[in-house]
Order: sequence, then C-alpha cells, then structure tokens
Amino acid sequence: MRKYTLIITEKPDAAKRIAEALDRQGKPKNLKENGVPYFIAQRDRELVVVPAIGHLYTIVQEGGKRNQYPVFNFKWTPRHLAERKAKGIRNWVEAFSKLSHDADEFVSACDYDIEGSLIGYCILKYACGGKETSAKRMKFSTLMKSELEKAYEEPLPSLDFALIEAGRTRHEVDWLYGINLSRALTLAARRWSGRYSTLSTGRVQGPALQFLAKREKTIRSFVPTPYWQINAEAEILNSVVEAEYERKRIETRAEADAVVHACAGKTGEVIKVNIKTVHQKPPIPFDVGTLQREAYSLFGYAPRRTLAIAQRLYLDALISYPRTSSQKLPPIIGYKEILSALKRKRAYTKLASKLLEKKTLKPREGAKEDPAHPAVYPTGNLPKKPLGIPEKRIWDLIVRRFMAVFGEEALKESLKVHLDVNGHSFFLRGRRILKEGWMEYYKPYVRAEEVLLPRTEEGDKIRLRRVTREDKFTCPQSRYNPASLLKKMEELGIGTKATRAEIIQTLYNRGYVRDERIVVTELGFDVIDVLGKYAPMVTSAKLTQELEAKMEQIQNNRVKRETVLEEVVEQLKPQLEQFKQNEEPIGEALTKATQRAQAQERIVGKCPNCGTGNLTIIYSRKTRKRFIGCSNYFKGLCTTSFPLPQRGTVKPTGNNCRACGWPQVLVWTRGRRPWNLCFNPDCPLKSRRKKT
Amino acid sequence: MKCIVCDREALEKYCEFHEEAYLNVVQKFEGWKRATGVSWKQYLKELVENAYTGCWAKEVAESLLKTDG
Repeated sequence: MRKYTLIITEKPDAAKRIAEALDRQGKPKNLKENGVPYFIAQRDRELVVVPAIGHLYTIVQEGGKRNQYPVFNFKWTPRHLAERKAKGIRNWVEAFSKLSHDADEFVSACDYDIEGSLIGYCILKYACGGKETSAKRMKFSTLMKSELEKAYEEPLPSLDFALIEAGRTRHEVDWLYGINLSRALTLAARRWSGRYSTLSTGRVQGPALQFLAKREKTIRSFVPTPYWQINAEAEILNSVVEAEYERKRIETRAEADAVVHACAGKTGEVIKVNIKTVHQKPPIPFDVGTLQREAYSLFGYAPRRTLAIAQRLYLDALISYPRTSSQKLPPIIGYKEILSALKRKRAYTKLASKLLEKKTLKPREGAKEDPAHPAVYPTGNLPKKPLGIPEKRIWDLIVRRFMAVFGEEALKESLKVHLDVNGHSFFLRGRRILKEGWMEYYKPYVRAEEVLLPRTEEGDKIRLRRVTREDKFTCPQSRYNPASLLKKMEELGIGTKATRAEIIQTLYNRGYVRDERIVVTELGFDVIDVLGKYAPMVTSAKLTQELEAKMEQIQNNRVKRETVLEEVVEQLKPQLEQFKQNEEPIGEALTKATQRAQAQERIVGKCPNCGTGNLTIIYSRKTRKRFIGCSNYFKGLCTTSFPLPQRGTVKPTGNNCRACGWPQVLVWTRGRRPWNLCFNPDCPLKSRRKKT
Repeated sequence: MKCIVCDREALEKYCEFHEEAYLNVVQKFEGWKRATGVSWKQYLKELVENAYTGCWAKEVAESLLKTDG
C-alpha cells in the first residue's frame, strides 16, 4: 500500500481550499469516510487532507460522581463520549484513526493560533496514535494558493508546543473553575429547592458579570441633578447659525434666566476669530476587536456575529485570518499585489489605482502585535459568487479600511468666533474638510459633518436672534452594549480575542443579562451577590488578569503548565470549602433569585383595568390551561383575565399594541412564524379585521 | 427583616441596593433646593416623574412619599 501525508485542517471548507491549492491540477478527489468528507491531492506525493469540525476532544472528570465537588481529576476524551449533543463527533474521530493507518507523514494545517494548534495536537495524539511528536506544522494567515503552497513547502519542523501548552492550560484552568463553581451553584440551589436549574459562572464570566453589575447598580441608584443650558441663534449675512454659550452648564434657574434676559435680541461684537487646521492621521488596520467595534457602530452587528461573518470570509479566502490582535501590516503580504487585484472590482478601481500611483506604500500601523498573524486585510481575491448583505458589508469595510491605512493625512479647518453680547460670551463654530486624504478611501464609513460659517472678522456686529433656556438633567452612565463590553474586557485583559464574544453570549443565555443595551437581571445580581459573599476571588478581574499573564508566560516557555494548574487548585480549594459550608444560605438565595427571574419573565405589563396590578401569564393547576390574569386577583382587588392560545410557546414582548396600547405577547407554534398577539378583545385592529 | 421596597434582606430599613439609592436621594436634595428652591416633597415627586432617575431611586422616592418622607 502506498504511503501518504495526512494533513489535518480545522474545518471542511479549509480542507477543500488547502487540497485545491496543493493539488497539481487544482482538482483534488473528494471522498467520504463514514460521512466525513476528505480530499486526496497529488503533488510530490499523495496528500490526504482531512478536516476536523472544531474541537473533537474535550475535558471530562476522571472518576468520582457527577453531582459532587470539588473535582480536580480530569482527562481529555472525544467529545461524543462527554456531550450528549456531540454524537456525530464519533465519525470524525474514527475517520482520522482509519486514515492515519497508512500515513507516514503528518502535518497540522489548523489555524495558527492557540485553539487551532490544540485541535491539531489532540487529533494527532489521540486519534492518530501518538503522532504529535513527529508531525510538522503549516503556518499561514490566508487561504490563498501561493501562501498555502509556501506553508506546505516550508513547514515548521514540529508542532508549536508552547502554543499548545498554553491552549491546554487555558482549557484545563477554565474547566476547573467552570465545573467546580457551576456545580457548587447548581447543587446548592437544587439541594435547597429540590429542583434543577442551570446556573453557571467561570473564570471570565464572573468578572465580566461583576463589572456589568457594578455599572447597573450605579444606573439604578442614580438621582439626576437639574442644570440649565443656554441655546441661541445668531444672524450672520442672512443666514442663521447656532451660538454656544460660554458655560455649558448653569447650576441655578435664576442665573439662567438672567442670561436670557441680558442677551435675547441683543447685538454683540466679534472680539476674536480663531482658525485652526488639524491634521488627521489615517486609521490603523483592523485587529479583531476594532473590527468588531466598528461593525457594531456602523451596522449594529454583535461582536460574535461579526466574528462569524469574518470567519466565513476567511474560509472563502477573501480576507486574512480574523482572530488576530495585530494592528500591523508587514510588507510581506504584498501591498501592491493586493491593490492590483482589488482594482478588478469596479467600486475599488479608482481608489486602488490612485494608491498604486504612489511611489511608496507605507501603512499607518497601531501598537498591538500578534506573533502569529498580521492585522486583518483583504487577500485581493474577489468573491466567486454573490455575497450576502452582511458578508458584503464586512468585506467592503475591511477592503476600504485596508486602502485607507495607506492614505495621506486628512486636513480639517476649524473656526471659532468669539462673540461678546452684553458682557456674556458666545461662540460660533464652523468646520470643513480642506483635504480628504485617507477619508476618500473610507468614505462611506467616515463620520465627519461640515458646518460652514459665513466669513466674519473682528469688530463685526452680530445679532442674537433667539436666546432660550433649556431645562436639563445630569444623566446616568450609559449601559454597556456588546461592543463596548468587548472593549472593556480587552482593557481589563480578561478573556481572549477568541473567547470574549462567546462569553458575552453565555451571559445572555444564562439569563444574567438581557437587551442590546445590557441590563443585568435580578438573577445576575443574585449570582454576583452570592459569589461576592462566598467566593469573592472568582469575580475579581485581578485573578483572571494574573492567569492570562501566566498563560502568556507558558506560551513564551517561561512557566510550566503543571505549575499553573497546581496554583489554580490551591486557589480553588478554600473557596469551594467555604461554599460547601454555606450551601444552605447560598441555595436559598439562588433559588429565590431563580424563582423571581421566572416570575418576572411571565409579567406581560400593567393591568389596564385596575392600573396597579401586573398582568401575568398564569398556569391553572386545576385545568392545566394557561391564561393572562391580574396579580391583584390574589388580593381580591381585580378579576381581569384573558384567554391565551394553548398551543406553542407564549412570551411577553415588552411592546404595546400600536392600535390600543395594551401589552402584547409573542406566540410561537411549531411550523408557523411567531406572531404578536394583542389580547384586548376590543382592540380596534381586531374589529377592523373582522369588517374586512 | 425585609427591605420596605423589595423582599430582599434589609440592613436597617432598606436592602443593600435600596440603601445606596436612599443615600443618593438624600444627598442630592441640597443641590435641587439650591437650584430650584423645591421642597422635599416636591423633590420626591420630581424624582418619581424624572426619566433619568434610576429605578431603585424611584422606588425609594415613592416609598418616602407614601410614608410622608
């Protein structure tokens, strides 16, 4: 039997692209092994390219019972043996085992990062029977043919063990924290109430929820303070412009009234005109965080969604590897080649040509570096099939950002006119762009509004046409949204570029937070409260920062994995002990919190009849049917009730009916689109529908 | 003892959360009085109606109004 090289990839799409790039004809054979697709490419020898489907191996408890803690013994095992929903993984593991029998060379071509390296390592170690020590490593940042060929011809002689050790440690540390603390929370609640409910926390989840809760407390306890603002309009050469009063805030109403009285309808004199030109440097290339934030602010995409879209673009070889923290674009990526290739698309022809006319191309770069990958950039490939709207938007954003970093500085002029009216100072402000520079390339995404002021000189007389007082209040701090939370996590150094978006999603899934502008739920508060009392270390950002730093040290071969694991176990032991001793009060607090959260979820809105009770979805014990009833019924004050559909799921929407203003519920029935139901029997929309 | 606003454990009158809100309500009154000349009762009414008042501070203001401050 002829021997071959087995190449492991992270995903099927990547396997296809790698096989196509490495096959002499560009047409590898597409085969299946027990439902698992793989490819045979012919080059200097036969290459068998087999994809994984993300992680095939995970950590499980070794020995001991499922419903007890602390747990410190673990082992790596195929995911299908550990997770109910991962049954399909068995086929992939078996396919690797079978195809590795006749292979005499092994290459890991998974993404070059912690997760990718670990995926390749586990497959080589466990599925291929200990081939991790002899395997080679392909290193690449794009799925372009030229780069893949180079990575295959000049592989790293061995696996990147430092990265793998860091990856293993991260998974093991997270598992130790997650399993022990989540089990402690869940078991405490179950022992107290006799009911099961999933409660979780973790090394990163805890601190993230902690600072969300801190912000939420400030917002909920906030008391506004009144202040006043002076708004004015000035007349200059038949045009009206806004004038700004010297003080943004006036503390008392009487003082504000005095300013209005002194200045309304009065003519002032220009005492100074300041003109300033500002040079604005081009933006820096995208690392994953800045890409996620920009996509959120421009298109409203949650960080996780942006990452998923970018991953698809990477697998289509349209952009480089997106999970990077680099803000650098090294010349080796070939600026000219990329721009020449982008020129083929009509929308970029003019812009790319303009850049190519430059003598030298030098990108503006940020400070952050990533040893494994450069910043996100377009490969120059054009989409072979039409992209969906989200993919199109993100690709265009990356392309334009890439071009913008090579642009020249933009030049802006700002004008400030000082106006004296009856002893009070007002300012008129104008701004215009003198030279677009990089903005030309990034145009649809630049936020720069011009305000043109008529020409004015010192000594000119200007009349204030309108002067008014506006009642204002101080505002609470704004709530985090997924993008600003991501930034905060980055600043605090908690989580990694690959895991942060996922952790934010877990907070939503557990019901600890809700809404786009993140609101911490009662359950979220209670979990943080319990952890703060009985395991304060777990919610501390400091602990997780220290662990992240240690993980970096493992990556740089300065600390051993075993040392970090021992430290973690020593840290966890006393915390879990304390948890166990206080299981009863913890269980009580968590059960009450869960019950409160469940009750809250069933509240539809205020009762339109009594005005004080809450309309709630109630399940009758007697008839086992559900209906909407007023909470004041139990006090004997209100008997309002409405029927509900008995099939499917019913959930409050938080919105009111546009016709009658009553609260609405959302009804899902299998096989049908979810629909909003107004349960007001006299809703005008219903009678209108009946008539038609 | 329960908090007079919610059913959490109270420190004295209020739970930990409403206590913080209560302290804010009391502390900010002087500023309001200086700025608008408002009375304590009127101030509490203003807080209940103000869109920027946090929900815990609002609940405290409502409970103070019911108990005549």
